Amino acid sequence: MLIELQGLNKTYDTPAGAFIALRGIDLTIEAGEFVAVVGKSGSGKSTLLNMVGGIDRPTSGSVSVGGTAIQGMSENELAIWRGRHVGLVFQFFQLLPTLTVVENVILPMDFCRTFPPAERRKRALSLLDRVGVADQANKLPSALSGGQQQRVAIARALANEPPVILADEPTGNLDSTTAREVLTLFRSLAGGGTTVLIATHERDIASVIDRTIQIADGAVIR
Amino acid sequence: MTTPWRKVLRDFWQERTRSFLVVAAIALGIAAFSAVLSSYAILDRELNQGYLATNPASATLRTDAIDDDLLKAVAANPGVAAAEARRVVAGRIKAGPAQWRSLMLFVVKDYADIRVSTINREGGAWPPGKGEILIERDAFQVANVRIGDAATVKMPNGDFQTLRVTGGVHDVGQAQARMENIVYGYITLETLALLGEQPFLNHLKILVKGDRFDRVHIGSVAEEVRKILEKRGHAVRGTDIPAPGKHPHADLMGMLLLAILSFGLLVLALSGVLVVNLLTALMASQVRQIGMMKAIGGTRGQIASIYLGQALLLGVAAVVAAVPLGMLGARALCRYLAVFLNFDLTSFAVPLWVYALVALVGLAAPLLAAAYPVAKGSGITVWAALADFGVSDRGFGTSAIDRALAGVSGLGRPLLLAIRNSFRRRTRLALTLLTLSVGGLFFMSALNVRASMINTLDHLFASKKFDLSINLGTMYPIDRIERAIAKSPGALRSEGWIATEASVVVAAAEAPATPSSGDGLHGGGGRGGGHAGGADASRDRFPVLGVQPGTNLLKLEISEGRDLRPDDTDALVMNTALAARNPLVKVGQTVALRMGPAESPWRVVGISREAFSPPVGYVSRTYFERASGHVGMANTVRVALDRSDPASIDRFKEDLDRNLEAEGIKALSTQSKKESRFGFDQHMLMIYVFLVVMSVIIGGVGGLGLMTTMSLNVLERRREMGVLRAIGASSRVVWLIVVTEGLAIGAMSFIIAAVIAGPLSRGLGDLLATVMFQSELSFFFDPNGVLIWFVASLALSALASFLPAWNASRFSVREALGFE
Repeated sequence: MLIELQGLNKTYDTPAGAFIALRGIDLTIEAGEFVAVVGKSGSGKSTLLNMVGGIDRPTSGSVSVGGTAIQGMSENELAIWRGRHVGLVFQFFQLLPTLTVVENVILPMDFCRTFPPAERRKRALSLLDRVGVADQANKLPSALSGGQQQRVAIARALANEPPVILADEPTGNLDSTTAREVLTLFRSLAGGGTTVLIATHERDIASVIDRTIQIADGAVIR
Repeated sequence: MTTPWRKVLRDFWQERTRSFLVVAAIALGIAAFSAVLSSYAILDRELNQGYLATNPASATLRTDAIDDDLLKAVAANPGVAAAEARRVVAGRIKAGPAQWRSLMLFVVKDYADIRVSTINREGGAWPPGKGEILIERDAFQVANVRIGDAATVKMPNGDFQTLRVTGGVHDVGQAQARMENIVYGYITLETLALLGEQPFLNHLKILVKGDRFDRVHIGSVAEEVRKILEKRGHAVRGTDIPAPGKHPHADLMGMLLLAILSFGLLVLALSGVLVVNLLTALMASQVRQIGMMKAIGGTRGQIASIYLGQALLLGVAAVVAAVPLGMLGARALCRYLAVFLNFDLTSFAVPLWVYALVALVGLAAPLLAAAYPVAKGSGITVWAALADFGVSDRGFGTSAIDRALAGVSGLGRPLLLAIRNSFRRRTRLALTLLTLSVGGLFFMSALNVRASMINTLDHLFASKKFDLSINLGTMYPIDRIERAIAKSPGALRSEGWIATEASVVVAAAEAPATPSSGDGLHGGGGRGGGHAGGADASRDRFPVLGVQPGTNLLKLEISEGRDLRPDDTDALVMNTALAARNPLVKVGQTVALRMGPAESPWRVVGISREAFSPPVGYVSRTYFERASGHVGMANTVRVALDRSDPASIDRFKEDLDRNLEAEGIKALSTQSKKESRFGFDQHMLMIYVFLVVMSVIIGGVGGLGLMTTMSLNVLERRREMGVLRAIGASSRVVWLIVVTEGLAIGAMSFIIAAVIAGPLSRGLGDLLATVMFQSELSFFFDPNGVLIWFVASLALSALASFLPAWNASRFSVREALGFE
């Protein structure tokens, strides 16, 4: 198995008292699976994804991705690990506004020094081609539509060939046609061996995914 | 170029308006820094090269008439590379309708063979023939003559003689004639005889062999030469050894440059504040980008280096802009100082190390300033960064200041909003206030220092109740002097005093070390008059004035003890400088003074405050009448006039000269109080202008800082501006709110500056006075400074917030609310 969560708990201290975001999560996901985490707003979907991506730390329990236990790593170790093993996609795309589309895709390779500098641009262009926005490569993100931006964000997530893609509400800001296209793209990625874990509100996704994990009040229901 | 560097460049360009403001501020600091550093490198090289090229004398021995045999004997000494005889005589010079000026005549035997302390020909004839005089190039203006003119010259023992000005010279070793208000003239022995003086030379200038810069070596050679002189029966009155290889004014120049240098560093430090504000804001606005970069694998170091790259770019742009500006500044500064120090610049070439140091400092300063905000901003966790909803550190209303501000009412709502807004970003506000306040501080201090200096000079000159002092050189009966004065219309009162020189006799054990070169700006106090000193003449000699008992023309400002009384005979009042030179001598003690060949005990009864003055002692004339039989005689006269305008003084001087002449009295030199104040005012003006220029530049940096702050504030509050527009605020109201916020910051900075300016300017004034004149100031607070700065700070704030306010008033509601 690729991802293994054991006895995962997460509690936030808020001025209104302790808030339990995740309680006792045990979960395993295999390589190449396309899994959707569904649930209402505030149910703990994003927190669960953040745990897997090393963005947030569990209060207790363990997170193992590709055999690496990540809960004990420092911020900097996590950043380096994340760059190589996890690709992240967000609802609001989060492209860097002053870098062109292709530069946004090169950036993770520059950070992690994963490919030889001379090859990075070529690789970025081929990734953009794969998600269907190669013709936008030299534009700034602000010149692109939402759907195009999200495709760029997916290309960026793929830059370092991570075994895992985590996508938090990737279609939440897109119209239904575009959302469908993006989901199809994820489907094809999973078909190529990449594990894709998405958190979503979308109900109509059964046709593209392998498995649904339903979550409510921080616990897995089904 | 890697992608992170692309981001640095694009972000820099995207923020170009603000980046430009910050670059301008840093560039100001670097320009000042590089101007001073280059000037230092240029002047240090040129001044010393020019000075060393004249073969300055290693030592000068003051003796009696020197003949060729003696010169040969001295030159034969293995330690001596060259020996030459000279003479310096003080007199007076007058050309055409101009008034009499102090003249310092340098007598040279053979102009074709000057090897020590050389002078350079500067137009006209060379050498001067009999009855001819050469004038130092800077002294032409003082004497008001041109080559070819005739000038009347008068020596202490001689008659009026007309000399023809036939040429000019450049004497590198002399202080600027204009500043000293003295004419340097160069003549031959024959001309000296013509002027009624005995034609001999008595200053022996030697140049040592071997290490010319070794003071100990020079001292031992000078000692050997002294022995040679004494063996041949010549009395040596004293030996002067100037700091080897160093122009007499090199220290003064160094001090001036140091002052400007520290100012350049201050501006640089203040511009660092702008860097802090800019980067803090930049990182706050990019917090999500930082989070995203971390999410895709950027380490803290990689992200920090992106923002440090931003700071580096600011530094690079500033250095590129500042270095040419600095070099221009260096040229201007060098030219000014070269005139001030009277030497020629042969090259403005700046050594490579200057550029290297400027680049290093210019790049390091913004990096250093950015270090904290970058370290803080890049340390944020991905989770916190992605959860951040734009800019919001801490809700308004959580601190006591906020609640106090919320309690302020009775003002219009928009005004309240503006004032409360200015307090929202406390660190930014504090840093902005810092830069603005420092500008105000310097400005008010400049005015206070100026007022204090004028006040101090007023005090100094208030003690002198006379308008004119006439130096007679030798003793004359007072009744004859008074007869001459009575015949000259315009005199109110006059007194005949006796001027002489003395030195404090101290036990060998407590003898203070003699200063290496007591050549202060106004060190020429005893110039041109008085008795020749005793056999032990040394640099410790100071003038002593025997004033008329119960004098009406001198009201000393006594700081300790008491003034002289009419019945005093052995009472001595020391001025501040004399007391400072003899710290062991206290009021109430008795001190032995050597005057001429005799030693006598004196009771120190008081100390008089005299800023900017060389050491002087005051006693009663009665002593000299008893001790030396000069009853009813004087060698110096003080006159109070009914009218003290220059024309009246000149008229009186001419009348008096004629009438003294009729009485058989030859006046050596006359100086009006106005003239002596002129020199002081020149120096004061220089300090004042320097301080005002400083405050204007710092004020400029403060203005740039405020503009940056306002522009950041407006940028971060776009959404709020949109809300204001949505609920009905007109463009004008939005504009007004932003400008009011700027004005509120300006007013706060004014209050801070006004409160600190008093004590600060007192300290600054004393520091400057100590450095430049070894003196203290009578502090005076100039209220004009407060008023002017109040207006200036408000105008500056209005100006600085104008553009950001205009931008803010142009946001559309949709644009502002849609802004993320």
